[in-house]
Amino acid sequence: MSTGGVDSRRVVFSWVMLAPFLVLFLVFVVYPLIQSAFLAANQTFGPGTRTFVGTKNFELLISDPVFWKAIRNTFIYALGSLFVQLPIAFLLALALNSPKLRGRGIYRLIFFSPQLMGLVFVSILGALAFEKRAGLINQALDAAGINDLLVWVTGNDAWLEPDWLQQHVMATLILISLWLYVGFNMIYFLAALQSVDKSLLEAAEIDGAGPWGKLRHVIFPSVKPVATFVILLSMIGSLQLFELPYILLESSGGPDNKGLTIVMYLYQNGFDLGDLGFASAIGWVLALILIGLALVQVKLTRAQEVNA
Amino acid sequence: MSAGQRKINKWILHAILVLLAIVTLVPYVWLIIASLKGQDDFFSAIFLPPGDGAFGIGWDKLSLDNYRALFDLGFEVNLINSVFYSATTALFATLICAATGFVLAKHQFRGRNLITLVVLGALIVPPTLLLAPGYELLYDLNLLDTSWGLLLPLIAPAFGVFLFRQAVIQSVPDELLEAARIDGCSEWSVFFIVVLPLVRPMIGAFMLITFLGMWNNFISPQIVLQTADKQPLSVAIAQLRGVYKTDYGLLTAATVVSVLPVAALFLFLQKQFISGLTSGAVKG
Amino acid sequence: MHRITNTILALRGLSSGVWVIATLFVISLILVLVRQPEQEGDLQFWVFSPEHAEMYAPLIEEHDASHGVKLDMTVMSIAAIQSRMMSGFFGGLPTADLIEVEKAVAPQAFMGPVDAIGFHDLTDLLLEEGLLTQLNEPSLSPWSVDGRVFGLPHDVHPVMLAYRADITEAAGIDLTLAETWEEYFRMLRPLMEDKDNDARPDHTPLSFWYTNQDLIETLMLQGDGQLFTPSGQPVIANERNAFLLATIVSWCVGPDRVAIDINEWSASGHQEKVDGLAIGYIAPDWMCSIWKMHVPGLEGKLKLMPLPAFEPGGRRTSVRGGTMLGIPKTTQQFDRAWDYAKLLYTSPEVARQLYREVDIISPVRSLWDDPVYNEPDPYFMNQRKGRMYIELAPEIPLRPSSPYNKQAAIDVRDAALNLAEYANRNSVYNAEDLIPEAIRLLDRVQARVEQRMSRNAFAAEDLAAGDGEAQ
Repeated sequence: MSTGGVDSRRVVFSWVMLAPFLVLFLVFVVYPLIQSAFLAANQTFGPGTRTFVGTKNFELLISDPVFWKAIRNTFIYALGSLFVQLPIAFLLALALNSPKLRGRGIYRLIFFSPQLMGLVFVSILGALAFEKRAGLINQALDAAGINDLLVWVTGNDAWLEPDWLQQHVMATLILISLWLYVGFNMIYFLAALQSVDKSLLEAAEIDGAGPWGKLRHVIFPSVKPVATFVILLSMIGSLQLFELPYILLESSGGPDNKGLTIVMYLYQNGFDLGDLGFASAIGWVLALILIGLALVQVKLTRAQEVNA
Repeated sequence: MSAGQRKINKWILHAILVLLAIVTLVPYVWLIIASLKGQDDFFSAIFLPPGDGAFGIGWDKLSLDNYRALFDLGFEVNLINSVFYSATTALFATLICAATGFVLAKHQFRGRNLITLVVLGALIVPPTLLLAPGYELLYDLNLLDTSWGLLLPLIAPAFGVFLFRQAVIQSVPDELLEAARIDGCSEWSVFFIVVLPLVRPMIGAFMLITFLGMWNNFISPQIVLQTADKQPLSVAIAQLRGVYKTDYGLLTAATVVSVLPVAALFLFLQKQFISGLTSGAVKG
Repeated sequence: MHRITNTILALRGLSSGVWVIATLFVISLILVLVRQPEQEGDLQFWVFSPEHAEMYAPLIEEHDASHGVKLDMTVMSIAAIQSRMMSGFFGGLPTADLIEVEKAVAPQAFMGPVDAIGFHDLTDLLLEEGLLTQLNEPSLSPWSVDGRVFGLPHDVHPVMLAYRADITEAAGIDLTLAETWEEYFRMLRPLMEDKDNDARPDHTPLSFWYTNQDLIETLMLQGDGQLFTPSGQPVIANERNAFLLATIVSWCVGPDRVAIDINEWSASGHQEKVDGLAIGYIAPDWMCSIWKMHVPGLEGKLKLMPLPAFEPGGRRTSVRGGTMLGIPKTTQQFDRAWDYAKLLYTSPEVARQLYREVDIISPVRSLWDDPVYNEPDPYFMNQRKGRMYIELAPEIPLRPSSPYNKQAAIDVRDAALNLAEYANRNSVYNAEDLIPEAIRLLDRVQARVEQRMSRNAFAAEDLAAGDGEAQ
């Protein structure tokens, strides 16, 4: 044990080191967090004025069909990321995992690269690429004959010139996010695959396991922790989707709010209409959804660990 | 599996990967070419405009005019702003989080557990919940439309504290700290000379992630900053999309200017960056 | 000393990324610090149109010099003006002394009670100086609340139909004979054949789509559709609106659809205009200059005519867009700002330039005799289009200034979209058969707008000063 002098000096040091963080954290996280609870019970017209409305914000929220549409859209996007993006990312990681594969460094770099482009910039690019008729996507689909195929399959001649930004907004968003995030998630899976125990794989091979057997009995179990992490990360990110549709749809929710997300709805009410109270109420609903998801995730992981 | 079949499989795999790589890369190529084209040629061809140069392409129709126009508009101001905001956030966030993470990991004092608990709890607070009250707070503090108002809330992320706390626990042995103290090191030297070098990988990775995150941040500056010459690229570029007309050349050139420098930087530093990204997941 | 060398030695091991960022920090910090804050003028003026700014610059300079004042003009995007104006009015941040505001944005400032509006009430001043009677009356409507005028109108923006006269005349069709939309579509039917076999008509009569909120509003205004009463009550679910909505949506659905969605602003849309995908375009005066700039290929191919009416004898024009000049109450120098406002918005030189450069006609009636409006325009086959627009100017429909109008218009657009989806789903393509569903959808819009309005606690209790303010 050190002497009291050294000890108290060390405590002072601790607090000095902590001070910048604590001050900023208390002022810019804890205080607003407490305020948001009060705000949610008020209506505001800009930050200067408040009127107490009690639980009215939440009542309005629940009775507003636009809010439910935002919830629906946001979940469509989140599930799209979950069931389309992550499997593709995993397959890509599997393909790139073999150390014998030539050029895997370059592939990895290429697939990862869109992640370096911010959402705003990707959205600008997306808005141009998904233009009706003339956009890159439709020209490519047209040239490849996919449009004609779609018309033939669906019997709907609207597919001749799909109107991505007006009719298929959520599909467009999922497609763009595919480009943006597949490489990003692939990196996580790659890291996980590289930590798979080689001797286990060899043992499985000796036991006569085929590629599918190896995947199921060796690879899946060892990738699981990372997969859970990536799923949670991707869900949390997806549910807070904002920039992509905001820029793509020129700061509206798109026709019939087909591309309105929860955060966009929050932004519109808080910063376009000046109702920070209502915006806070929306923020709380979103926070509860996210916290609920995280808890479910933790529970599931625990249950697995117990089973294992 | 025969050797022949294996070879075929390998070729199929490569074919798929090359195809996907092309799909990934095409937008870049399109973007760069588009930024060199004039308004009239923008849609005359998806990529290079037809003409009577080599390969039947109108090379003479490509020019840097869009870039010139962009900087005539004063876009360099936004570029400097972006660099400033991103670098400042990255530096200070790293310093603050490293210091806090170290103290929370290695120092004993009353209140430590409470603070740790609160910081971990803050990880589940979605940043969007703080948008509205945060805006009101900045208004009350008279910090709206200032760099301080943008930066102060962003340089003390709880996530960073969490990362550095983990890193210190994992890679800084207690014995080393005690040894340094016995050698007569002050607490400051212990932090700067012993601890920081040991969490080097985390410092590099966290700085880069924070830099990139701020570079691409849209919603914070969009809400906090109103004056055009304070805005970073992300906000400035979104405003280039006019309500009644859009100059595609200008927009694509602006996108190239906004993306190219960071992309180049991060491709150059990709190893540090990627190891940082995955460290939280794989080790944790 | 020893400690410093130690620190340096320790830091040497840091990765290159850290050094790059540290260097960037130092450089950018220096650049930000040495950046000279621009010399501030006596008054600030925000505009969103670079074309307007270019026009105003010499006049402002002259006025500055002769009056010994300095007015700073800043060009910003509409979105930027909106957010700065609102944070000014909401949050007390400094705003400009003069703001040029677009129609989509200005009414937001009218959200609270009349005396809480952030702009100066100009009514008495306009009356005093005899300006009120000189201004085209319908042009004041979007900037007036309860009969009080809060901004000087910049324009009239009457609407005509621009059509590909080269194509119609070659086919021997005289569109000027078309008095109603029905006649117009019937006359163009022969041009809709698919001779080039690309599975779509070679020429579609009208560039319009049920997703284009602006054009829906324009057409509904033409047909005397009304979303709000002059006092601001929503009257969205009425039969006239339903008829109009069903009619214009019926143009876009079914195998015989007569409308096509050509992007109004994108280069691709411009290319499709040149290609003649559509014959007719709904054209406010300001659109002419946009085409001249972005679709030079149409020069000498277009002609203008009054819009075909919804019924024989119906209104042959409408209105789209608009800008006002407002003076925020926060200004310290109202008189000076007012001087500039009059200079820029009512002087004959500006009006002339406004027409020459961006094809916009002035709302000041006494200026309408100016010969500039009689000049033939080669872009439109030498038509005297200024005169044609002026003739329609007094007939443009009145518009509401309700802050809820923008959202209501968006909801109506969504109703149009839903109606089109209903039509396609049930193969109902006839306007008359679409009316019941249109009424149902408009009922929903009405309810939504009412709910939104009832939510405004401030308008309701007149801000109950002090009382309602928790802090």
